[in-house]
Amino acid sequence: MKFNQFRYIIDESVGMLRRRMAANLIAVVIMGLSLLILAAFLLVTLNISGVIEKTSKETRVFIYLEDGTGEEVSREIYSRGMGIEEVEEVVFISRDEALANFRQALGEESDLLDALEGNPLPDAYRLKLKPGYIRSKVMERIAAQAAEWPGVEEVRYGRKWFERGEKLVRGFYIVDLALGLIVFLSVIFVISNTVRLTILNRRRAIDIMKLVGATNAYIQVPFIIEGALQGMVSSLLAGVLLFTLFQVAGRYIPGLVFIRTDAVSGFVVFCAALGALGSFSAMRRHLKL
Amino acid sequence: MTPDKRIIAAVYHLSKDLGKHFKLQDINLQIANGEFVFLVGPSGAGKSTLLRMMYMDDYPASGQVVVGKFVSTRMRRKTIPNLRRKIGIIFQDFRLLEDRTVFENIALAMKVTGTGMGEIKRQMTEILTRVGLYHKRYDYPPALSGGEQQRVAIARAIANRPAVLLADEPTGNLDPAATKNILELLFKINAGGTAVLMATHDIDLVKSFGQRIIYLEEGRIVRDKEMIYVGDIRDRIDQSKVSRRAEMLSDHEITDGGKE
Ligand SMILES: Nc1ncnc2c1ncn2[C@@H]1O[C@H](COP(=O)(O)OP(=O)(O)OP(=O)(O)O)[C@@H](O)[C@H]1O
Ligand SMILES: [Mg+2]
Repeated sequence: MKFNQFRYIIDESVGMLRRRMAANLIAVVIMGLSLLILAAFLLVTLNISGVIEKTSKETRVFIYLEDGTGEEVSREIYSRGMGIEEVEEVVFISRDEALANFRQALGEESDLLDALEGNPLPDAYRLKLKPGYIRSKVMERIAAQAAEWPGVEEVRYGRKWFERGEKLVRGFYIVDLALGLIVFLSVIFVISNTVRLTILNRRRAIDIMKLVGATNAYIQVPFIIEGALQGMVSSLLAGVLLFTLFQVAGRYIPGLVFIRTDAVSGFVVFCAALGALGSFSAMRRHLKL
Repeated sequence: MTPDKRIIAAVYHLSKDLGKHFKLQDINLQIANGEFVFLVGPSGAGKSTLLRMMYMDDYPASGQVVVGKFVSTRMRRKTIPNLRRKIGIIFQDFRLLEDRTVFENIALAMKVTGTGMGEIKRQMTEILTRVGLYHKRYDYPPALSGGEQQRVAIARAIANRPAVLLADEPTGNLDPAATKNILELLFKINAGGTAVLMATHDIDLVKSFGQRIIYLEEGRIVRDKEMIYVGDIRDRIDQSKVSRRAEMLSDHEITDGGKE
């Protein structure tokens, strides 16, 4: 392509953007808000799953021993525990140690414990799972297994809490996915609709251009640039709005994390590509080029 | 195929059904380099449809249209712009971009071929002067009279020095004075070597010029008479005598600029 033609195509694109400022702004606001909704949910998911992941890393399985379990049986439990593939470490916590911990945890209220006669707590083993195995399925299996061992009174892990956390994250992922799909479709729709309206609006102008021998590129490129810019600007808008919301929320909830910068830029590029694609497909459909 | 170099545009055995009630039937015609031809017929005779096939906005169901080196049966979508840059087309409704100035409207035809801005400006003065609109070059079409708008359209059509100008009812929206003015301009352009094919339903308007007239009725050519009077058409308009025949058959052919 000649350089001049390239320059004229850019001129045409700029001219079109200027003439259609209002329509473009409306499209950008609509798309920006839809993208904001999606991004907000992604951010919430990110934070919740972060918290859950962090907490679950600290989750342990506790094996409480029957009163008066002998050293031999206790040792047996230890080696059985270590024998489980997913277990990383097994630590013995004596009843005295447990009571001391408890006391410490209660702090000022530890006086309450003085009312007790002796130590009601049992000896216990604390199982730490290898990272990557910290899932309710695995814990449940280990708990069921260990409950059968001789000398074991009870096995516990934060089961209810744990399962709920997992469900919550899964739920969020599903919502994100559904929202992502809806937003994806609506962005395509908004862009192709704007392009469709533009084409109807500018049908006469487009026909005139074809009449004087304009190539498809000459006619199409301004539309594609417009679509790409719409995608880009609306995703940036969503990003800025989300960041503002994030800052406000951060004042009330400590420890919130924002979406990573490379993910944000990837998102902007993706939206620009989506815009260009929406534009291009609308052109294909409405213009016999 | 070895095309006749003296033929700038031709239609061979063109047929096509259009809708339920109309068809173009076995149309044959040839237009020589530099010739001026009227295509006359009542409303609905198929003039516009035939012209559309000549600028290849539509294609014959059977038969062939040849314009310069462009052949309808071998046309690909991508080469249509090349054809359009080699011919000029004007219409009853002018078809100007109303949000662009006279200058920009005319420049568009040159821009699409990649002509540089300096070159466009250089040529523009001459073109604008030829159509008498130099003083209105920064006006917008809606601010112009019908005759002026048609002159802008003509300027745009001849900007790339086409070998053929197709005119579909170019005076249809104009009063008698503007009509005469536009006809004069077309004759002048023709005198410069550009072949002109002008469609009109107004037989009375054109028969006095003694030019070749092709009569179209209900999709058929009913009469096509070679020009009787050989001389300059402008004799009939402003009585100034210019010998034109020599220029007319000069080697003015359409070539594809696709070497770029
Ligand atoms: N795409 C089409 N589909 C159906 N009918 C068509 C189509 N194109 C043209 N026609 C019909 O062909 C006939 C000829 O139309 P055309 O516009 O070529 O006539 P015309 O000679 O230019 O008339 P006018 O002087 O009114 O401009 C009309 O009856 C029109 O309805
Ligand atoms: Mg017509």
